[in-house]
Amino acid sequence: MIPTLRFWSVLAVFTAAALLLAACAGVAPTQPPAPTQPPAPTQPSAPTQPPAPTEAPLQLLSASVDSCDYGGELKAIEALDKYTVKFTLCFPDPAFPAKAADTALQIHPAEYLEATGGTGQLLEKPIGTGPYMLSEWRKGDQMIFKANPNYWGEKAKAETLVFRWSAEAAQRLVELQSGNVNGIDNPGPDDFDVIENDPNLKLYPRPGTNVFYIGMNNTYPPFDKERVRQAFAMAIDRKRIVENFYPRGSIVATQFMPPSIFGYTEGLDWYPYNPEEAKRILEEEGVLPGFKTTITYRDVVRGYLPEPGVVAQDIQAQLQAIGVEAEIVVMESGAFLDAADAGQLDGFHLLGWGADYPDATNFLDYHFGRGASKQFGNGFPDLWEVLEKAASLSDPAARLPLYKQANELIKQHVPMIPVAHGGSATAFQAVCQGAHSSPLTREKMAVIDCGSDTLVWMQNAEPISLYCADETDGETFRACEQINEALLSYEVGTTNVEPALALRYEANADLTEWTFYLRQGVKFHDGSEFDANDVVKSWEVQWDAAHPLHKGRVGDFTYFQAYFLQFKNAQ
Amino acid sequence: MTKYILQRFLTAIPVLIGILFVTFALARLLPGDPCVAMLGEKANEVTCAAFNARYGLDKPIPIQFAIYFRDVLRGDLGISFRYGRPVTDLIIERLPVTIELAFAAMFLAVLGGVTLGIISARKQNSLIDVATMVGATIGFSVPVFVLGLFLAYMFAIVLKDTPFSLPPSGRLSAGMAVPSLPATLGLEKGHRLYGVASFLGNLYLLNAILHGDMALFKDALRHLILPALALATIPMSIIARMTRSSLLEVIGQDYVRTARAKGLGERAVLFRHALRNALLPVVTIIGLSLGFLLSGAVLTETIFGFSGVGRILFDSITSRDYAPIQGFTLITAIGFLFLNLVVDILYGFLDPRIRLG
Repeated sequence: MIPTLRFWSVLAVFTAAALLLAACAGVAPTQPPAPTQPPAPTQPSAPTQPPAPTEAPLQLLSASVDSCDYGGELKAIEALDKYTVKFTLCFPDPAFPAKAADTALQIHPAEYLEATGGTGQLLEKPIGTGPYMLSEWRKGDQMIFKANPNYWGEKAKAETLVFRWSAEAAQRLVELQSGNVNGIDNPGPDDFDVIENDPNLKLYPRPGTNVFYIGMNNTYPPFDKERVRQAFAMAIDRKRIVENFYPRGSIVATQFMPPSIFGYTEGLDWYPYNPEEAKRILEEEGVLPGFKTTITYRDVVRGYLPEPGVVAQDIQAQLQAIGVEAEIVVMESGAFLDAADAGQLDGFHLLGWGADYPDATNFLDYHFGRGASKQFGNGFPDLWEVLEKAASLSDPAARLPLYKQANELIKQHVPMIPVAHGGSATAFQAVCQGAHSSPLTREKMAVIDCGSDTLVWMQNAEPISLYCADETDGETFRACEQINEALLSYEVGTTNVEPALALRYEANADLTEWTFYLRQGVKFHDGSEFDANDVVKSWEVQWDAAHPLHKGRVGDFTYFQAYFLQFKNAQ
Repeated sequence: MTKYILQRFLTAIPVLIGILFVTFALARLLPGDPCVAMLGEKANEVTCAAFNARYGLDKPIPIQFAIYFRDVLRGDLGISFRYGRPVTDLIIERLPVTIELAFAAMFLAVLGGVTLGIISARKQNSLIDVATMVGATIGFSVPVFVLGLFLAYMFAIVLKDTPFSLPPSGRLSAGMAVPSLPATLGLEKGHRLYGVASFLGNLYLLNAILHGDMALFKDALRHLILPALALATIPMSIIARMTRSSLLEVIGQDYVRTARAKGLGERAVLFRHALRNALLPVVTIIGLSLGFLLSGAVLTETIFGFSGVGRILFDSITSRDYAPIQGFTLITAIGFLFLNLVVDILYGFLDPRIRLG
């Protein structure tokens, strides 16, 4: 009997140990601070307590820095009146509206931020203004939302929304095929045909908002010669790489900009694949014969590079075909990124970029602007000039020709070889009206009608928290998108910016002052009224690193820093 | 006896310290930087310095260990980088999932394995015997993930709209309400028993029974069948083969022949005399299967969307989330340590020839 006892004893002891720990949990000293007990926000029947109709004068909030020397973009945020907010910037930013639409900059009730201390319940029981309210988050299992009966816009099509998750693409497909879920994220590349051939299902390809490129640093010979870099651009068969190693929905890159992001140039093509011409040029330039170099990469799977190892080997083989001997070097991810940014990578390096916000500045200025890293070596002043000019304009029609010029200059200088925009997809039951995929993975479930009261969505992973100011994960952002709203939003299935909590906005001539006129009569899920102070507070707690509510889940507020470069009062 | 138990507790202390050290060291020996794993492309010198400072990773490793050791003594297993929550909270949520799955799998494995083994032995060399043994060999050979996907496909799609249809993943149907056990017991968060009640409430079958909620019980059970079957298949195959061979060996022994000669019926011979002895090695195998159930649970949980211990350990390792790796490994190790103590004590009770102390 001993072995049987052993089994049951293990389970019993596990249980006992867990119970012991569980009992201790309530008094564990490092429990995240649970500040004051905020009002329970997640009752679907909210609003339960409408605000008292007393008309106390609103004390308008504001936040500012004395000087822009701190290195960030923001100079001031002011509530001009109850429904007007002005942002003053340290320098022009035409992408400010695109940033203000992001999920990381959603608006929370100022009172709730205070009540939760900027963490704790704020992470798990959000109060937003969105079309859905969180009803229950059953950790590890599912997340249940109820339609917001007081939503200012069109009400959610399904009364109940359920988020589930599974890391296995095959399992997600089985769930969809079995009818247990209405829509899934990221079907496996091999399943695209299965879905397209099933009359009960429909595939919605998601255009990639990323780019995979082969970088070259022009401070290392022979990459210091533009003609040599152009020759290498001809030597790489990008189409072969995309066809062999990328999921359906991915496309061959013709430029650094992805087609779904503002700043893409229609009709621009990359150097045609021509290994003979490449070899001839390299021989003329004295590079061949006998050139040996390296291909450096990190073994990290990303949407823009789903199979790093085999892609590196294919590029190695392609270079071998023109007589270039390239050794593959795999680096640890952090060390690789550091070395690339410091300009320490000789030879070729494989890297990519995914959109933080849908604007050319996030791609071109970040990589090729005056303040860019040394990843590609010395920058190109003619390119800087064009990018700076484009960044000083707010009119998209005026900016676009400048980005065309920039994309052409990048083609000429070849700091890198754009290879692919890695795509993915969503899949829904064919009966679902309004089903879509979002390039930014921010699908809006409220517009989807599958003919029943409950809409079930299955994604790759469980959201991490529901305070997306301090998150970076796409699965998490999608959940936040159903509950909370930002000043602006992205149109369903596109990256175009549209009004959300702000009805409209305007900028001054030099794009350093942006004034947002807020929608009136909007209620948060707890029944409190949305106003300009909520906007100021929601932004301020992210901006000010010394603010007592600058906590979140880990306190990084990574996207805020990425968008606006530096925190106020940063250490 | 008391002295012996006291001695064992005392000797367990250095072992526990060793376990603490090894789990801590193993987590730190994982290649890769937690900051890079957590922040991805956003990781740079500044963000990583802040990250490391926040979690005390900027301190020398011996100091980190000292702090960890002190915290564990206080019942604090640390905070997960990834979830931003105490590991004890994660254990309350995730351990019941694995326990429920392991119980169900072991139940199926023993029930199915012993039954099939007995049938096979009684019908030796018959078609049933051959089919059972071939099935057992296949069951033993098929990887869990292949079997899991096959079962999901078979019961969710092929048998869709039939009474045999079963959900392919998850613990409950979408939107199925689960009553809160702490709320039922009137326990507020912060109460000492709140965590215990939450833990028990996360055992959905138990929760359903305690609340008399048969809809919940049925739904949870339907979701548990396929993952438990996938997890149980390999131990079930081993148990079936072992039961068969052991029973055949016992049936040929003198005392069984004597029992038959006394005129006992075949059923009495089998169940009253032969099976009890034949099951001794089987019971050993059942005990050994526990290790498989715990390791196999990682894959099973992944395939069937069960967020249990296996799943969270896998996620924690890939994201270099030290605290859950240490916490869940530690609780497993403590479990085995106490188990050994319990088993050693039980030896004395079960076999008086073994002297303790």
